[in-house]
Amino acid sequence: MAKPPAPGSVLVPDWHESAEGKEYLRCILRKSRRRVFGECLSPVTSVTCCSLQGAEESVGKGSLVAKAHKLLLPSPHHAKWLPRPSTGIQTTVVFWPAKLQASSRVVMFRFEFWDCGESALTKFDHMLPACQEKADAFLFLFSFTDRASFEDLPGQLARVTGEAPGAVKMVIGSKFDQYMHTDVPEQDLRAFRQAWELPLLRVKSVPGRRLADGRTLDGWAGLADMAHVLNSLAEHLWHQDQVAAGLLASSPENTPD
Amino acid sequence: MGEERGPGGAVHLLCLAASSGVPLFCRSSRGGVPTRQQNLDVQLSSARTEDTTVVWKSFHDSITLIVLSSEGGHSELKLERLLQMVFGAMVLLVGLEELTNIRNIERLKKELRASYHLIDSFLGNSELIGDLTQCVDCVIPPEGSPLQEALSNFAKATRTAFVSLVVSGRVLAATEGWWRLGTPEAVLLPWLLGSLPPQTARDYPVYLPHGSPTVPHRLLTLMLLPGLELCLLCGPQPLLSQLDPQLLESWWQPLLEPLRASVLLGPGALPAGFPLHEDILGLLLLHLELRRCLFTVEPSGDKEPSLVQRRRLLRSFYSLVTSTHFPPEPGLPEKVEDTAQKAQVPRACYLVSGPEEPGTGWRLVALQVGPRRLLLLLSPQSPTHGLRSLATHTLQALTPLF
Repeated sequence: MAKPPAPGSVLVPDWHESAEGKEYLRCILRKSRRRVFGECLSPVTSVTCCSLQGAEESVGKGSLVAKAHKLLLPSPHHAKWLPRPSTGIQTTVVFWPAKLQASSRVVMFRFEFWDCGESALTKFDHMLPACQEKADAFLFLFSFTDRASFEDLPGQLARVTGEAPGAVKMVIGSKFDQYMHTDVPEQDLRAFRQAWELPLLRVKSVPGRRLADGRTLDGWAGLADMAHVLNSLAEHLWHQDQVAAGLLASSPENTPD
Repeated sequence: MGEERGPGGAVHLLCLAASSGVPLFCRSSRGGVPTRQQNLDVQLSSARTEDTTVVWKSFHDSITLIVLSSEGGHSELKLERLLQMVFGAMVLLVGLEELTNIRNIERLKKELRASYHLIDSFLGNSELIGDLTQCVDCVIPPEGSPLQEALSNFAKATRTAFVSLVVSGRVLAATEGWWRLGTPEAVLLPWLLGSLPPQTARDYPVYLPHGSPTVPHRLLTLMLLPGLELCLLCGPQPLLSQLDPQLLESWWQPLLEPLRASVLLGPGALPAGFPLHEDILGLLLLHLELRRCLFTVEPSGDKEPSLVQRRRLLRSFYSLVTSTHFPPEPGLPEKVEDTAQKAQVPRACYLVSGPEEPGTGWRLVALQVGPRRLLLLLSPQSPTHGLRSLATHTLQALTPLF
């Protein structure tokens, strides 16, 4: 598999903070709230599937997806959406615009996150193959406050590398903001990076900022929180596609379209 | 949403393993905050008021459910049906085997967490009424809508007998197989969808409490539009990945307009422009053989009382008339009234909530003709001597719907 691209080499970094980027983001936000896109309405330009892997229910997979999607439709009973352990497979669609370095073209990525509850995975044989089938990327989640979830990573990575050698793999550490309780020191992360040469990102797990009504999550703030993850994901997937299409050698330089 | 419960009212639900008495979970309607088991005693003692009603039920000699309600006007019928729904929800997500053959209490407690969201929705102020009536909440699609045909063809193409379209927890259209699902899964499945946060798609293992309590089926849900989901109940096929966006678009994109129109119907339940008498503030129509119902409090929505209050009035009225006045519903094991008459004989009753002077007090009228039972909430202006004929005319107009 080709070396992963250097960050910012494929997509214009921080483009989402530019005036142009914000215009595109406006179409996935409405009045500062994330819009929900149903299947029929999807303006599909680039379809990719990602699978979320994580050892424990409490690692925060559900929250990670919720944050990326920034969905906050109040249920009939609660003003806030409370994360709950998932009983099976759940997929969430997230749209993310990104600007290519080489051609300055803007591509709208459509991410389909597949998330499966751990207890369902162990109980039902069909769940894991269903999630892994046709996945373009695997996101391995661990929690900074849970050492066991970090130690589980090599096993998970080895298994997926065996079954899907061509897929993009990324590691995301959640609850990074809870530094008082961190169980995973920097040197362990460094050692991990050197051993696996995989992108490793960190996310917070605090609920995002809210709008003036005190309830609705601020879509702009939520996107800012998750932008680096989505950008990185888009970058790696685009690079992977280019390599697979034979447009690139093992080096991460882009050829113009 | 600012739901107000009755003054100081709350509902507490406790689940115990019958043999050991070990608590498995405790849920409460107060703000939806889950009660920790170590605070169990503290929570229960706060429910000890003069008006507390307690109902308990044991299931399969293995699980005991106890509900305490300190809300005014909670009849036993309401609470008994609540317990049946709650146990149904537990079976739906965990399976009967795990509940009747408890090998590991801690693991069971962990697994039951998956059912909290659904159970909490029974304790909250839902827009639906299937939990109480044990009939499926429905929405009537616009007339001549091609949705039913499209659904049947889709079911044939995916080789699935059980397919439905669900809007905000209400069934919009369904295959014959889906309509034949037993109680309580027929009510639980759309209700489950209504209680979950939106997802593009789901593949959940579910156990059908009546039809298949120990062997799971797969519940596939696909969001066609925000608020509208396509549901399939199936075995190992089709895989979720086979129902990809391109396939769904080819089936459902041509029907985008009727689908969009249906999403807007949601809480209204009836087709837009359906003629209803202007005094009607709320309506509950039940078909007791088909086990379906229409429930709406939208008519003249800008008038008093609030929608929450209207729902509460109709729910209480339903409990009252069902337990005291009308013949027992077919197929449900409930107490038989000594004075029960044949279901073919029309029966009607009304109730005025408040003083009976003209122009004050909400009117509630109930009418049963054959398998159909209609309950109406009417404004204070509606003259009491005209209630029965108003109800009769409304029922006649609604009869073609189901």
